[in-house]
Amino acid sequence: MITEVDVPSASEEGRLKDVALVDVDIHPRMTPADFVRRLPERWARHVERYGLRAPAIRDRYPRPRNKGVRADAWPETGFPGTDYGLLRKQLLDEHKIDFGIMLVLDALDSGYERPPLDAAICQVVNDWLVEEWLDRDDRLRGSIAVPIENPALAVAEIERVAADGRFVQILLPASAQESAGSPKYWPVYRAAAERGLPVAFHTGGYNDHGGTGRPSFYLEEHAGYGVIMQTLLTSLVCEGTFAEIPDLKIALVEGGALWLAALKWRLDDAWRQLRDEMPELDRLPSEYIREHVWLDTQPMEEPDNPKHFLQVLEQAGLEDRLMFATDYPHWDFDSPSSSLPRGLSREQRGKLLAGNAIELYGLPSKVARR
Amino acid sequence: MTAMTLTAAVDCDLHVAPSSLGTVLPYLDEYWRSYIEDSTVGLSHPGYPLGAATTGGTPPSSYDELAPVLNAANPHRAILTCLALDGVHRNPYYAAAMARAVNDWVREEFLVRDERLRAGIAVSPLDIPAAVQEVERLADDGRFAQILLPVRGDVPYGNRLYHPLYAVAQEHGFPIALHAWGRGGKAPSMTGVTATYLEDYSSNAQIAQVQMMSLVAEGVFTRFPQLKVVFMECGFSWLPPQLWRFDKDWKGVWREVPWVKERPSDYVRRHMRFTTEPAQLPQDPHQIAQVVEMVGPELLMYASDYPHQHGDGFERLLAALSDEDAESVLRGTAAAFYGDLIA
Repeated sequence: MITEVDVPSASEEGRLKDVALVDVDIHPRMTPADFVRRLPERWARHVERYGLRAPAIRDRYPRPRNKGVRADAWPETGFPGTDYGLLRKQLLDEHKIDFGIMLVLDALDSGYERPPLDAAICQVVNDWLVEEWLDRDDRLRGSIAVPIENPALAVAEIERVAADGRFVQILLPASAQESAGSPKYWPVYRAAAERGLPVAFHTGGYNDHGGTGRPSFYLEEHAGYGVIMQTLLTSLVCEGTFAEIPDLKIALVEGGALWLAALKWRLDDAWRQLRDEMPELDRLPSEYIREHVWLDTQPMEEPDNPKHFLQVLEQAGLEDRLMFATDYPHWDFDSPSSSLPRGLSREQRGKLLAGNAIELYGLPSKVARR
Repeated sequence: MTAMTLTAAVDCDLHVAPSSLGTVLPYLDEYWRSYIEDSTVGLSHPGYPLGAATTGGTPPSSYDELAPVLNAANPHRAILTCLALDGVHRNPYYAAAMARAVNDWVREEFLVRDERLRAGIAVSPLDIPAAVQEVERLADDGRFAQILLPVRGDVPYGNRLYHPLYAVAQEHGFPIALHAWGRGGKAPSMTGVTATYLEDYSSNAQIAQVQMMSLVAEGVFTRFPQLKVVFMECGFSWLPPQLWRFDKDWKGVWREVPWVKERPSDYVRRHMRFTTEPAQLPQDPHQIAQVVEMVGPELLMYASDYPHQHGDGFERLLAALSDEDAESVLRGTAAAFYGDLIA
């Protein structure tokens, strides 16, 4: 029922416009009071008394820039991202966004909790997203929070909410307790693929930057998001996830994108030498990536020479895989009117700003004029 | 690539390794010899499984095994790399003793026999004061050209923990060489041991990016303005996009790291170099030329990486370089980078 809102009838054609801008990374945020109020009594009491297990990312790597958010994004009460009216005004209306994909990060660390609490948190987040956001604005689309460390519960949550067509993907942390390619998580990926839902990995999670010891600064943490994505994607490819689940689609969110070219080259070179270790991989890693992986622009990479952006876009095969994102309301917000690299062709702009996201998320290509 | 061009080359990474612990036992004292015997500890190279095509066989374990390799390519200089420390043990005192033994073995078995040879001073990141002592012990030998650390550590290399080592490196003009692998059992990132070697092998590049950022962000080059760092066997084609992102983020949150006075990429281009194996590049020569221009050929130094086999990337790289750039990559950049250490 819900999806029909966006399907135009013939008589409406004249009032339609092409979808020109899709923002694939918007962060609405729950207030702590909202969160506790919505939890079942048992878990509300638990959280009030004992708190949550995962140390907050802002405590691990304090954001020394405007508290991590756009300085003008504070509503009269609460935190940036908590107020629909302000988000609508500053983001959706201001930038004429046709569709905005909401990624609630409040459940990204909840895999640390015991499974029933993790599941309760994800339910709260998903229901809140529907009631407070998706029901208020037909431009908004949601991502399903799932208790990823307990795949059976995660699949149950997908089953509970996926019938609402406004949920367009599953949301997972870029770093969980096991590597992204671990067969432990395959049931969740299968449940997503069976429903045609992409799996989005957003930077963050409770195990980031562990490999060679943890860096000291937010600068490294933030500039290293793409490195985590490289490791995540390496795991998905090398453990045979894409070979095992041919319909799986992946979105890598807020890790940048231009690192992809070099990763493809090194995985291909490695596979040529070592393919006997993983006979399940019967194609070049870059071919799996080409078929299964989408990425977003946030934060937009800015080489001194804009020509380099265009070159890597081509080298990485990103032209029809790269999706625009603002990352509202975070401090490094990218504006669709000023952050795009110079020199993109009209067709490249169209794909980047809307076309690629329309394809991945199955969004309508036309909407009613507002 | 012809033998002619390599004759003048500086090979920055040529592997040797003891074939067994027995080879280095004579360089260990009685306590460590009995420790090895009682604990049945052996040599372990988790990064180089012998059956993997990338490993390419066992490295030379004696000068007699090395000589034919050296004579075939006949480089002007070859810097030996011995990674015998890359075990999975956690004993810092054992690591320090092994470092001494390995360095003495490399000197006695190889360096004293051939003027073309130099070597990295192997040290363990598990005991930095011992590493400092080891560098001081060998600094005046004249045949050691760099300080060799595994790129995978327990704490990122910008951390103050390591600064005493950088002080002694700067004092003697030794570059810090961060070589692929090391600290066996250290996963490339995040979540523990990887499920496949393919993944582990591919991931030294991620670790190198983390270390590159750590060294800059912690102000190592502000504190040690003469210090040089070379990433070995970690690739280089990942560098440009990571620098774009690093520079952009620094503009946003520079107040967190006030000692970083210039753009991160300025430090990287001034202080860091990268060896040419593995050269992970596109197939299209036109795109290879683009990558070379973005990376900057002046950052690359030739390494045979014998006996490891990473594919034909280096040949494709060389084909894309101008004669002048090829000369720099094969010799000139290393000659300037190591200076008197390889003169």
